[in-house]
Amino acid sequence: MANYFNTLPLREQLAQLAKCRFMYSSEFADGVDALKGKKMVVIGCGAQGLNQGLNLRDSGLDVSYALRPEAIEQKRQSWKNASENGFVVGTYEELIPTADVVLNLTPDKQHSSVVTAVMPLMKEGACLSYSHGFNIVEEGMKVREDLTVIMVAPKCPGSEVRAEYVRGFGVPTLIAVHEANDPKGEGLALAKAYAVGTGGHKAGVLMSSFIAEVKSDLMGEQTILCGMLQTGSILCFNKMIEEGVEPGYASKLIQYGWENITEALKYGGVTNMLDRLSNPAKIKAFDLAEELKEIMRPLYNKHQDDIMSGHFSHTMMEDWANDDANLHKWRAETAETDFEKTPAGNVEITEQEYFDNGILMVAMVKAGVELAFETMTAAGIIAESAYYESLHETPLIANTIARKKLYEMNATISDTAEYGCYLYNHACVPLLADFMKGIKSDVIGKGLDVDDNGVDNARLIEVNDALRAHPVEAVGAVLRGHMADMKKII
Amino acid sequence: MEPSSRLERIQLNKATISFDDRFTLSEIDWIIEPHQHWVITGTNGAGKSALAAALAGVGKIEAGTVQGLPKNVGLVSFEAQAELIAKELKKDDADIMDVISLGTPVSEMIFEQCQDPELASDLVEKFGLTKLLDRAFRKLSTGETRKVMLIRALSSKPDLLILDEPFDGLDVDTLAMLQAHLASIIDTVPMVLVLNRFDEMPDFITHVAYLDKDRSDKERLEKKRGDKKRGDSGRLAFTVERQDEAAFNELYQLLHLKTTDLSVPEADPATKLPALDPSQPLVKLKQATIQYGDTVIVDKLDWTIEQGQHWQLSGPNGSGKTGVLSLITGDHPQCYTNDIFVFGFQRGNGESIWQIKQFIGYVSTALQWEYRVSTSCKNVIISGFYDSIGVYTKSTDHQKKIADQWLELLGMQERSDQPFNKLSYGDQRLLLIARAMVKHPPLLILDEPCLGLDDMNRQLVLALIEKICAGKETTVLYVNHHTEDKIKEIDNHLALEKNH
Ligand SMILES: NC(=O)c1ccc[n+]([C@@H]2O[C@H](COP(=O)([O-])OP(=O)(O)OC[C@H]3O[C@@H](n4cnc5c(N)ncnc54)[C@H](OP(=O)(O)O)[C@@H]3O)[C@@H](O)[C@H]2O)c1
Repeated sequence: MANYFNTLPLREQLAQLAKCRFMYSSEFADGVDALKGKKMVVIGCGAQGLNQGLNLRDSGLDVSYALRPEAIEQKRQSWKNASENGFVVGTYEELIPTADVVLNLTPDKQHSSVVTAVMPLMKEGACLSYSHGFNIVEEGMKVREDLTVIMVAPKCPGSEVRAEYVRGFGVPTLIAVHEANDPKGEGLALAKAYAVGTGGHKAGVLMSSFIAEVKSDLMGEQTILCGMLQTGSILCFNKMIEEGVEPGYASKLIQYGWENITEALKYGGVTNMLDRLSNPAKIKAFDLAEELKEIMRPLYNKHQDDIMSGHFSHTMMEDWANDDANLHKWRAETAETDFEKTPAGNVEITEQEYFDNGILMVAMVKAGVELAFETMTAAGIIAESAYYESLHETPLIANTIARKKLYEMNATISDTAEYGCYLYNHACVPLLADFMKGIKSDVIGKGLDVDDNGVDNARLIEVNDALRAHPVEAVGAVLRGHMADMKKII
Repeated sequence: MEPSSRLERIQLNKATISFDDRFTLSEIDWIIEPHQHWVITGTNGAGKSALAAALAGVGKIEAGTVQGLPKNVGLVSFEAQAELIAKELKKDDADIMDVISLGTPVSEMIFEQCQDPELASDLVEKFGLTKLLDRAFRKLSTGETRKVMLIRALSSKPDLLILDEPFDGLDVDTLAMLQAHLASIIDTVPMVLVLNRFDEMPDFITHVAYLDKDRSDKERLEKKRGDKKRGDSGRLAFTVERQDEAAFNELYQLLHLKTTDLSVPEADPATKLPALDPSQPLVKLKQATIQYGDTVIVDKLDWTIEQGQHWQLSGPNGSGKTGVLSLITGDHPQCYTNDIFVFGFQRGNGESIWQIKQFIGYVSTALQWEYRVSTSCKNVIISGFYDSIGVYTKSTDHQKKIADQWLELLGMQERSDQPFNKLSYGDQRLLLIARAMVKHPPLLILDEPCLGLDDMNRQLVLALIEKICAGKETTVLYVNHHTEDKIKEIDNHLALEKNH
């Protein structure tokens, strides 16, 4: 199988990457009609499989689960998830031939083998759906010509997909139709009905393409979302120890710091995150971020280039074929870092203190979000996609570090994200070595040592203007506005 | 606040303590001697829970002094419970994740940092939690999580035990067991109980602290600050010694104030529900069964609710009351494996849960925990028209007017625009009751509606329920433990037994 993206002419590549449009509520007027009475069979009952299925069934659709025989025989968690929730569970042979829509919600690494196994069993003219496009775009999976292929990708973890639905709302969702597989032209109608069935239409749906979804998703997860947080954790921790900060405090400041400072992103983007700092600290964070961006830009470009050319997925798939040797090695190395091994101390750190004593962390988040966004948009990805894959998801990942540090983050993200995260980290730590030499505990660990908070007016205005003028802030304000509008219309 | 060792005098001296910017306890003078046992009581929103929490070191001392707080405080409260649950739920917030977190098991919650494992094991047994030890904490019912909290506090060898509404939500047997246990430890640890129901006061209580809202102070301050918005405040109005009979009776009277005549605001004529066939029952469960693995919670229950036939549902914790209700509301996944007929739909035939929920008004403690979105009090009532948590649709002027009428009825008209999540537990409960009633639903399900309400508000709510029962539109399904909270119009009774 060849990388699908690379088979397209440049014109088509650019068109696909730029595909992304925020859909109007009126486009969902038909509700779930296109799927009414159709048989939906979900493969896999994990985070997405279970929660999407619960929502679809509560929206009046017919949902059942096809699991691999081992999962059924051994009554694995996936079998329990499906059967305890009262779903019909069966083997591929039993259920796939009856399906009008097959929802492939297995881990991405398994997609080739799963799809190859179920395809011959699928009805003529049925539909195959994904929640992530890696298999189609990077592995170049060729799907039978009579089948319709769509994607409905909630931009949130499965538990949120369910919780928001139960509340009467939904989570932002991206939909796409694989144009090479839309023989009856019904892909869009099916994808829309599916998005309604999960509640996504209430929180906002982006109409995109398989390619834009994959290329932006990969870029976001390896750089700002996981890579930057991992590198930042390691560098900041080591620096604090070097500067004599108490190790328990240092460990806690980082473990919970990412969560605390990125919470501010949810409300008002990068601007709000920096507005939480005192004026001198804000200017300091701004300057550090500028420096970091300068140093790291080539690395972000390289990641984006490797993703676009298929080099990244190619090397990762080689590792898959080699029993994940590199992945396992890097995972073990991460477990051995000092940050990982030092438990958070039993000290109180107030919410504001995480900002005041974590100026460098704020700067790293700012630099990472902006660079990822800039690099994606420069590569032809539309701003809305780039926003979701950078700024929007950062706080969600930061939460996992708060739980059990890097171990937890890497355990809960997909293998693909984890692999990319280590690549980034290996390149970024040495890249920032010189920069880190100049860092002292005033920007990480202890807070600025100033007598008063005075700053130069002109400089402050300059910094404030620059913050607000960044393009990620403009698109963020609009998209957050959509969410908030829908969340609390008076 | 410097923590000190056990059994010292605790002394609050003109202490003004703030809780975020939402609530202030002003100028509290209070002394707790070792070997005294206190009840804190008062009106909803007066800061009963806040004062209790202050003894556990919560809040910021703005003025005055607080001395003698012990180090190791055992605290059980709705706030602490909600916080623990929220923390557990948050464990699920990972993005792009590959695994579902199963949550912390009950055994870990109880035993991980336990000081007295022997007592804990004993209590686990007595509270009937043995079978649940492997279950994820966040999968427990409201009553069950409460029990876990109690066991954690009781077995932590506390120097001070603070129990905020410990008896709410417990069935009769458990309640008796807990009261007996508390009575057996009065010589080892001082206790402070927050109670809304005066008649639940255990015999060993030696003192009562009565709080009320500090209105005068608030007005004064508002004038001074040029009408700036500011949180509520409460004060310690007086303390009464149990032995002082005259003072004690006076307090009792105060808490049994009669409610005035009331009328229920009308429904919104514009939000018309599809007509129901009057010859059909509202609900018909046939051989309904709820089962987790091998544990059967509800076993082959037949139950028909005819239109206009009001029911009371009772049963001990763990008898599956909440489960049965959620089969009716569509919130239980096993509603698809049971034979359930509701509001003209045979479940599992392509209807959506929103088509079911439109016929139901619902209040429960679980709902209160799920209602975590930050929205205004008025919006909480309006959300009842849409069966949602939070409002995601544009509401009409008429709906807003009806919401105002409800706020007035509850005496909360001035708080219309205040954020819901900053209200006291009891006030939140009142609003959620209004939310459930606002559309005059064909079926109104009230799952322990009076939990957390003071005596006055409890009377108000009971009177409201009676009014609704007397009307023709709404059939009421009422769940409660307290035999004294009887509604005279309700004459059908279903008692569930514990099966497992
Ligand atoms: N999690 C997210 O936040 C998120 C968000 C958007 C999109 N997605 C996408 O959703 C899809 C599913 O992800 P997920 O996070 O839900 O995965 P997951 O939680 O790991 O669940 C995967 C399920 O697939 C089953 N499975 C594993 N290997 C299999 C195989 N070889 N054959 C058949 N079944 C197999 C597993 O059950 P058994 O091992 O018991 O068979 C399990 O139930 C992915 O494409 C992912 O990219 C995820």
